[in-house]
Amino acid sequence: MGKKVLVVDDDPDVRLFNVTVLEENGYTPLVATNGEEGKNLAKHEKPDLVILDVLMPRESGIRLYRELKTDKNLKHIPIIMLSGIAEKSFLRSQKVLAEFGDAPVPEPEAYLEKPVDAEELAATIKKIIG
Amino acid sequence: MNRILLIDDEPDILRVLGISLRADGYQVRTALSGEEALAIFARETPELVITDIKMPGMNGIEVLREVKNIRAETEVIIITGHGDIDSAIEALQYGASDFINKPVRDQQLAIALQRAQEKIQIKQQLREYTTSLEQKVAAATREIRRRSNFQSKLIRSSNDGIVATDEDLKIVIYNTGAERIFGFPHQSVVHRMQIQDLYTPQIADLIVTGVTQENGLEEFAWQETSIVSKNGDIIPVRFSGSILHEKGRKMGSVAFFQDLREIKRLERELLKAERLAAVGQTVAGLAHGLKNILHGLKGGSYLVDLGIKKDDTEKLKSGWDMIKRNIGRTSELVMDLLTYSKEREPEFEDCFPNEIAVEVADLLAEKARESRVEIKKSLDPSIQQVAMDPRIIHTALLNLVTNAIDACLFDEDTGKEWQVVIATTLEDDNTIRFDVSDNGTGMSKDVRDRLFTSFFSTKGHRGTGLGLMVTRKFVEEHGGRIDVASTPGEGTTFTIHLPFEAAGQKKENIQQEIKKR
Repeated sequence: MGKKVLVVDDDPDVRLFNVTVLEENGYTPLVATNGEEGKNLAKHEKPDLVILDVLMPRESGIRLYRELKTDKNLKHIPIIMLSGIAEKSFLRSQKVLAEFGDAPVPEPEAYLEKPVDAEELAATIKKIIG
Repeated sequence: MNRILLIDDEPDILRVLGISLRADGYQVRTALSGEEALAIFARETPELVITDIKMPGMNGIEVLREVKNIRAETEVIIITGHGDIDSAIEALQYGASDFINKPVRDQQLAIALQRAQEKIQIKQQLREYTTSLEQKVAAATREIRRRSNFQSKLIRSSNDGIVATDEDLKIVIYNTGAERIFGFPHQSVVHRMQIQDLYTPQIADLIVTGVTQENGLEEFAWQETSIVSKNGDIIPVRFSGSILHEKGRKMGSVAFFQDLREIKRLERELLKAERLAAVGQTVAGLAHGLKNILHGLKGGSYLVDLGIKKDDTEKLKSGWDMIKRNIGRTSELVMDLLTYSKEREPEFEDCFPNEIAVEVADLLAEKARESRVEIKKSLDPSIQQVAMDPRIIHTALLNLVTNAIDACLFDEDTGKEWQVVIATTLEDDNTIRFDVSDNGTGMSKDVRDRLFTSFFSTKGHRGTGLGLMVTRKFVEEHGGRIDVASTPGEGTTFTIHLPFEAAGQKKENIQQEIKKR
């Protein structure tokens, strides 16, 4: 049984792609199609890594990221953001939320902007969780 | 005024009268004959002449005539013999101022002199007055001419068309600006045409009523309308006018026309330019959408490669599906972009708007089910077959209902029973209203403000920001209007008002109608 990696994305193509890459590289994929589902799975399954999209229905990646990174039981889980949104837009949105009184959050362990090669994704995962 | 020429053939009389007059302060010249007198008169032109009537050679009457000939305003007093009434009358006819009888009495002379002097004075005053009056008239005439020139130049050079009529509604002023707009040359209009020949009935009625009726409206504020030119072109103009008065009586009308062709053309250009600029912006705005598609294509290729390498048909198939899906998304995106950047005339044909609404609801039923959204229909049964552009209705409703479902899908309040309602209403004799309402996430003011303006999407990989722009463009091309009302957390209603024509008409007529509007 490989390490558990949670994929949270509303786009079925991205999910299939990510899951395939994970399987091919010996990881065990977990799948959530929206932020709400992603939060529940993260709590119950305690994955070793989360690959998270930014814009999703039913709780966006921006909020889920904050929740994961501020939950004392989950904040240690590394997160790879995988999105069509530019990294600086994502970081700015987190900064704005912090300015409005939310807790500051660290930057994600990795940020991949779409489109991403299978090799690039695999290499990034490997670098973080081995 | 105090120079006197005294004429008598009797030296004694001359001497006595001369002494008397000089004593009264006059400068006196004397002559013993008419001939001598005229020579002096020609040299010195005294203001007053006193002459005996009966003289050898030239008599007094002849002297009088000559003097009057030389200088008409000279006062001439005739001295007549006792009872010489005929001569006196003749003298008066030739312009003598007065006459006195011989023997000349001082008192009588004094009165005659005083009268003559008064006359001279009055004449002098009259002359001065006349001269000054003439000068004033000349100056006033010059000023009037100058002003009139100025005004006609003003009217001529005005860019606006200016058309004025007399009280019989005959056109009396028609400037170059009006020529440019109406197309008729000046000479075929002025004093030849009535305004009814030039204006559209709508404008003509205003002015005819204003001029002919007691209580007619007399000032017409600027308004946009159109006129028909000589060539039958419909020309958009701004019009204003007023009824003219002279001493409380209506004396005619004046109307001003501004040619809006260029402005309308520029407006259209601007709209097009804005749209093209928006398309340009998309290249940046769409980058996000494109990234998602590219990602899908890469993912698909990866799966296909994997499938081939491992001889795994399932992977091969899912990879190929992924590629096909993303090719589909690419073509949708490209078609939307093309639709948005191209100008398109609406094509009216007979259709049933309610049926189109049903079609759209059916088309999206599955997507709605997947997203746990119920689609409801509330269709006005009084809407029958009409002439509209069915493609526009279809595209607009499809975009709005898709958005409405997404608005439910993106709603974070998962306790709701989401629903989307498509409603049609016969608003009036030529407008149908379409409402698409949802009880989804709603929009903040910020989002609402940016809705139609730029390539803006809140939908992640689903959105390109093109749907609403295309919808609005279609609706406006159809002569309609789109509104939105939204409350964050409660939902959104998009409303479209689209004009229609009666079914069964010829297509070209309808197209014409739309253009006129």
